[in-house]
Amino acid sequence: MLQIEQNNLLLEKTITELINSEDLKTVERLFTDFDFTTYHVSNLSDEKSLILVSIYVKCWNDLVKYGVESYLDSKYSKFSKFLTKTSQESGYDYSFNLDLSILKQESIEVQDELISELSNLKRNCIAAPFEQAFKRYDELAQAYANVDVYSEEVKQELSNESVLTINYRGMDESIYIKPSFDRVTVIFSTIFKDETDKIFGKVFLQEFVDARRRSVQTAPQVLYSHNEPPLDIKSSVNHHPNENQGFVTFVLFPRHLTKGDRRDNCISHIQFFRNYFHYHIKCAKAYMHSRMRFRVKEFLRVLNRAKPENLDEDGKVIENRKTASGRRFEIGRA
Amino acid sequence: MASMGTPAVVMDNGTGLTKLGFAGNDSPSFIFPTAIATSTIAGKTSKSAAKTSFLASKRGLEDLDFFIGDEAINAANGANYSLSYPIKHGQVENWDHMERFWENSIFKYLRCEPEDHYFLLTEPPLNPPENRENTAEIMFESFNCAGLYIAVQAVLALAASWTSSKVKDRSLTGTVIDSGDGVTHVIPVAEGYVIGGAIKNIPLAGRDITLFIQSLLRDRGEPDTSLQTAEKIKQQFCYVCPDIVKEFSKFDQYPQEKFAQYIVEYTDKNKTNTVDVGYERFLAPEIFFNPEICSSDYLTPLPTVVDQVIQASPIDVRKKLYKNIVLSGGSTMFKDFGRRLQRDLKTLANERIELSERLSGVKSTGVDVQVISHKKQRNAVWFGGSLLAQTSEFKSYCYTKQDYDEYGPSIVRNFSLFSVP
Repeated sequence: MLQIEQNNLLLEKTITELINSEDLKTVERLFTDFDFTTYHVSNLSDEKSLILVSIYVKCWNDLVKYGVESYLDSKYSKFSKFLTKTSQESGYDYSFNLDLSILKQESIEVQDELISELSNLKRNCIAAPFEQAFKRYDELAQAYANVDVYSEEVKQELSNESVLTINYRGMDESIYIKPSFDRVTVIFSTIFKDETDKIFGKVFLQEFVDARRRSVQTAPQVLYSHNEPPLDIKSSVNHHPNENQGFVTFVLFPRHLTKGDRRDNCISHIQFFRNYFHYHIKCAKAYMHSRMRFRVKEFLRVLNRAKPENLDEDGKVIENRKTASGRRFEIGRA
Repeated sequence: MASMGTPAVVMDNGTGLTKLGFAGNDSPSFIFPTAIATSTIAGKTSKSAAKTSFLASKRGLEDLDFFIGDEAINAANGANYSLSYPIKHGQVENWDHMERFWENSIFKYLRCEPEDHYFLLTEPPLNPPENRENTAEIMFESFNCAGLYIAVQAVLALAASWTSSKVKDRSLTGTVIDSGDGVTHVIPVAEGYVIGGAIKNIPLAGRDITLFIQSLLRDRGEPDTSLQTAEKIKQQFCYVCPDIVKEFSKFDQYPQEKFAQYIVEYTDKNKTNTVDVGYERFLAPEIFFNPEICSSDYLTPLPTVVDQVIQASPIDVRKKLYKNIVLSGGSTMFKDFGRRLQRDLKTLANERIELSERLSGVKSTGVDVQVISHKKQRNAVWFGGSLLAQTSEFKSYCYTKQDYDEYGPSIVRNFSLFSVP
C-alpha cells in the first residue's frame, strides 16, 4: 500500500452493511480517522430506519471560518431526499440524518454514490479551506492578468494576502495556505515525537526533491525547513521555537489548479500529506527492522560455524569430555 | 495529553482470524484472516535504474507491495503473490510479516495515527515473555503508539462474561473453554492469573466438526459436499442434544420437523442444489462429548477434560472454577452447548462427591457447577478487551512511550491486572 486512501473504509463498510441488511438493526458504532477525527453512527431515537451520522473534527472552528458548512451543503445537497443535515449531536461538529427506508428504494447507483460521498466526509470537511484558497487564486489570477507583477506595489499587495490557517492537530501542527496570482503555497508544520523520526523524515523529503529533479517535472515544488518557519507565513505563525518542528512547503502551480477533477484530486492528495508522511516514516522503520532481523540471523549463522571443535593436543577430536575432577563419562560402564 | 479523547484500539490477532476495532463498540469492526500476501517478484522490478545516483532507485518499493486479510487471499490466487500466516498456534512466528500486517491494519483498515491512540493487544496463555518484548519493540519503536497493554486472551474472555445476567460477582476466577477453528483450550484462571500447569488442549475444534459433516454428507451421496456447504450447515442447523439415542428416535418419530433441507446457491444464479440435512444436526457437535464417533486417537470427552483441568488446579480455587465456566469462540455457539456441558460436569462432580462421602463418612457441602454462555461468545476475547479498554482507568494500566524509553522492552514482562470494579 503506497498511498493512503481518502475515504474511510470503516464508514463505507458500516453504511453499506446498513443498506444491504434485510431487517433493520440497532447500530451504535464509534470509530476514528486520522488527526483526532471521530465518527459516530447510531440510531436516531428509537426509529431503526433513521441513522444519525456524526463527525468530530479537531479543527472545526478553523474550518467554520473558511465556509465548511456551505461547502458540505453543496456536496451533499443532491442527496437531500434521504440525507438531511440536523443539529449536531453533543460532542460532535456536524451531523447527518440518513433515512434508510427511502434510500433502500433508490437504485444501486444512487446508493453507491451516497456511500462513496459519505465515506469521504472527512476529506470534504478539510477540503473547504483549500477550495476557498483556490477560489481566491482564481480571482487574483484574473485581477493581475494584465498587470506588471514585478512592480513594488503589486509585490507589496501580494505579500499582504491573508494566510488561511488550519490547526488540524491542535496548536502545534497546522496547515497554512497562501493564495497568490500564479501559485498557491501550502505549508505543513509537523512535530516529530521521536528523535529517529526526524532523520527518517529528512531522508524521505529528500526523495521528494529528487523525484522532481529526476523525471516527474510536473510535480509541485517541495521545500523543507527545520525549526524555522518559511518567510511566506512568518507573520501568521505565532512561533515558539521547537526543536522537533518541521515545515514542509508545497508550491502548487496553475497546472495543478485546473478546475475540475484535477483540482479535486490535488486537494485530496495534499490534505493527507501529513498522514502519508508519517505512515511512510513508519514503513521505513519497519523495513529497517526487517533488514536488522535478517542481518542478525546471518551473523548468528556465522558465529555458529566458528565454534571450535573439541580437540586434544594431537588434533584429534575428543569425544568424551572430562569433568572438573578429571573423570570421564564413559558409555557402557556402571 | 492529546490522546486522552481518542478511543483505544483493540486488536486480537488469532491463529485463524484477526479481530480489529475500537474500544466502546460491541463487536469488532473488522474480522479477517490473519494472512499476508507478499510479492514474490522482488528484485526483478529494479531494472536498469541502478546507474543513477538517486536514493529512490537504489531500492524498490517491494516492502510496501503486500496485502492482508481477505485481500491477501484473493491476491494469492494470482501469480505474483505468496500467502503466509504469521501466527502459528497462537504465537507470532514471523515478525517481519507481523510488523507489516499491523502496519496495514492500523493505517488502512482502522485509519488511525498510532501516536494518538492507546493499544490493547492479546496474547495466548503461556506466551513467552520474549514475544511480548518483541511486540512492544514493534509497537513503540516502529509505530510510536501512545500506550500499550497486552492482555491474556483467557482473562479477557472471563471479563466478557460479565455481561451475562448469571454472573453476580465480577471476579476474574473461572475456567475458560476457548474453541476456535483449530484447537480447543481449557484454561483455568485464578484472580486474573492463568494456572499454566493445568491448561489442557483438545485437538478437536470447528474445522473437525466441518470435516465430520462433510464426511457424513459424502457417505449419503448428497449432490453438493463442498466444505462451504458443510460449514453453512454447521452454522445454521446444528445443535447439541441431551441424549443421542432419544434424539435418533425423535428423528424417526417426527421426520417432518427434524429433517431439514439446505439450498445451496452458486455464483451462477440459475443453478441451485438441495442438500438434505439429517442426523448431522446433532451428531456434529456431539464429537465434543463423544469424540469416538469421529476421531480414533483422541477419546476423552470435553466434560472429563474440564474436570481434569479443575482437579489439577490448586485446591482453594476449585470451587470457584466449577462455579464459573465461561465459553468463548465460534465453536461453542451451538444451541444448548452450555447446558449439556453443565449437566455432564455435574454428574462427574456428584459421582466424585458421593465416592468421597462414602469413603470418609463426612457429609460434603456440595459443589456448584455453572456454565455461562452469553451473547458475545463468538468474539468474547475482543469484546472483553473492548469492555476493559473503554474504562477510564484503562490508560493508567498501560505503559506509555515514555515508560518504554525509560526502562526498555523488559517493562512489558509484567502488566498490572485490572482491578475489579
